[in-house]
Amino acid sequence: MKNKIIVFLFVGYLGLFSILGLILKDKEISSSERRKLASFPKVELNNNYITKVDKYFLDQFPFRDGFRSIKANYNYKVLRKLDNNGIYLKDNYIFKSNYPTNEKSISKFINHLEKISSLFPDGNIYTMIIPDKNYYLDDDYFLNIDYNYIYNKVENIGNFIDVRDVLSLSSYYETDTHWKQEKLNEVVIKMDEVMNFSYYDILYKENIYDKFYGVYYGESAVDRKPDNLVYLTTSIFDQVSVKYLENSNLKEIYNLFKLDGLDSYEVYLDGASSFIEISNPSVSSKELVVFRDSFGSSLVPLLVPYYSKIIVIDDRYISSNYFMDLVGDLKKPDVLFLYSTLLVNDSSSLKD
Amino acid sequence: MVFSSITFLYYFLVLLLLVYFIVPKNYRNFVLLIFSLLFYFLGEPKYILVLILSGVLNYYFGKLVTGRNKKLFLVLACFYNIFQLLVFKYTNFFIDNINNLFHLNISFLNIVMPIGISFFTFQGLGYVIDVYKGVHEPSDNLLYFMTYLCLFPQLVAGPIVRYSDVASSLYKRDTSYNEIAEGVGRFVIGLAKKVLLANVLGEVIASLVDVNVLSSWLNPILFTLQIYFDFSGYSDMAIGLGLVFGFKFPENFNYPLISSSITDFWRRWHISLSSWFRDYVYIPLGGNRVSKLKWIRNIFIVWFLTGFWHGASWNFILWGLYFGVILVIEKMFLGKYLEKTKVIKYFYSLLVIIIGFLIFNSNSISDVIIELKNMFFISDIPFTSKETIYYLKSNLVLFILAIVAATPLVKNVICRLKKTRVSIVLDILEPVIYIALLTLCTAFLIDASFNPFLYFRF
Repeated sequence: MKNKIIVFLFVGYLGLFSILGLILKDKEISSSERRKLASFPKVELNNNYITKVDKYFLDQFPFRDGFRSIKANYNYKVLRKLDNNGIYLKDNYIFKSNYPTNEKSISKFINHLEKISSLFPDGNIYTMIIPDKNYYLDDDYFLNIDYNYIYNKVENIGNFIDVRDVLSLSSYYETDTHWKQEKLNEVVIKMDEVMNFSYYDILYKENIYDKFYGVYYGESAVDRKPDNLVYLTTSIFDQVSVKYLENSNLKEIYNLFKLDGLDSYEVYLDGASSFIEISNPSVSSKELVVFRDSFGSSLVPLLVPYYSKIIVIDDRYISSNYFMDLVGDLKKPDVLFLYSTLLVNDSSSLKD
Repeated sequence: MVFSSITFLYYFLVLLLLVYFIVPKNYRNFVLLIFSLLFYFLGEPKYILVLILSGVLNYYFGKLVTGRNKKLFLVLACFYNIFQLLVFKYTNFFIDNINNLFHLNISFLNIVMPIGISFFTFQGLGYVIDVYKGVHEPSDNLLYFMTYLCLFPQLVAGPIVRYSDVASSLYKRDTSYNEIAEGVGRFVIGLAKKVLLANVLGEVIASLVDVNVLSSWLNPILFTLQIYFDFSGYSDMAIGLGLVFGFKFPENFNYPLISSSITDFWRRWHISLSSWFRDYVYIPLGGNRVSKLKWIRNIFIVWFLTGFWHGASWNFILWGLYFGVILVIEKMFLGKYLEKTKVIKYFYSLLVIIIGFLIFNSNSISDVIIELKNMFFISDIPFTSKETIYYLKSNLVLFILAIVAATPLVKNVICRLKKTRVSIVLDILEPVIYIALLTLCTAFLIDASFNPFLYFRF
């Protein structure tokens, strides 16, 4: 009897999933992993074909996310591993390892900044490196990059703005890599101390989106509550005009359609935008050029009240040959390099 | 294609089981042959003809070595099989060494080694020699012989199955639920060894990049465990699938990491290969029934060939000769001393095995020397680092599980419990455990990036 059960269970289990795999419709993307899934490959007569077929079946396996979750829970709870695929869980926070320190990348990053600085001979150069949230993971247990090494290397590029002491773990989302816009007021004050853009208190309205599942949520494959994503608005924003290079229909600082998209954080400045020009008629002739990664998307709106024109450049998507034509003539602009330590340690995506 | 893939588990195997058990028994060998060729073709489309040619030629060599000029045909069979192996596996190795030795610049040939060539060549050659020696009759059915040589469970990574092991099953086999269930259990255990232990250990090894004394020890220890679970897991899967389809393949491993000597280790590790060399090389050379000098020569020939069989690289030859030296020392005097010890013999064996796999896994002889210096405090390196401690802590449960799984502890406990009242609980738990392991393996395959079979390169 036992043997019959073993045989039928085994064959039934394999058969059930193979039938489900064949009848269920293929998915184009994985929302939890935020990536395109493989489609069935065209027939080829070479050794790689079966690898492509394997990839297709792996990607389209029924209840894929459920199986990923089983693996993650087995690793954390049975094997007591400290990380699963480089993802740490501590309290309610999800962290991702960016270990080890990549000296080549840091060196490339510095060269890149120096090159761009030379394009603005009349500009006031400022550098602000945002610590990723692992910086506040005070547990010696985990592997972290050498933050002191990074900060020592970058602090001589222009006027350095050190915001490490005004941020804390609570400044970051629990399920995402980014910082929270509503926690950045202290950062703006600290920036003003160096940049002198005449900070003043602004009463922002907090708009809450309560179903923000950050990038680490899907990667971790463990069950967690969503974050609240807050985007701040003020009447000043009603007066500004915004031009996006890739999305000419959008005229606002926030793209609220993105809230229910794959990545709600893209609500800020439309997410991955290579070149944005923000004009504020209520301020006279103070110009800022920001070179930034995604952390800048939520901070730049808070700088809008203090500048007549802000040009936001994501140089992961646009090269200097192209953006200098778009920047046009500026008189003694403030030039701010605003990147996270994540990008400094992996600067391969920066375009020269 | 590999057993530990979604394509194999959920599509290839399901389809094969369906077709195999639906068709009349007379057609089952044909079904197995077609699926075996498809299995090989999907992984190695270019060299399917090498496999088919090897099967057909060895079948006819088998017929020819029973008639007139049988010695001549035996020599031809040996020449063909060894030539096939030399061309596909060793040509570029020879070119590289000739270039280095004579400062030449001969171009390498654009040859990729066909998967499993070392295994099916040895099976084909072994078959012809056995027919010549009268161990068994030659096969009288090309389809059945091809089914034997190409049988997919053992085709690409063994165990090296001899024709006599499966000859009767090729003609008549009745598969009962008992055998299929035993095969299913064996297959799932093998899959778990491969996916849950070997692959995960492989990931840890890949992470251990800091050079210090602790990591220098951890690397070969973990690699020893990884290659054991990788290869024995594959053998378990092959043996399990064999049982499902009515074949009984020879055992290939018997807890080699608890060996009491290196002589004992080679009775427990890759048993089908060591017995092949014993029967087809060592004994024909005279074995130990010759003068001491010739006996030592025989040992070194066998271990040179064993090392060389594993790969066209000097580190494999060194690895084989290393074991040859240890075996000679054990046979001369050390073996007798070890027998008298209770614990030392196990530590000694483990140390020799671990250093052996350090040689096996190295890229060059100079790397071996550097690694040994690091292990034994001869280099100026720190004892440990934060990174090494992290990986040690993070994987401690895994390491303990792997060490326990490398011993017969669980098997012995289950055997004892089966003799008690608890056996009913075990009967209920057994199918549940298999499905749980299958689920876990599927989860690891879906979310994994590391899944090579180490023995596929041989």
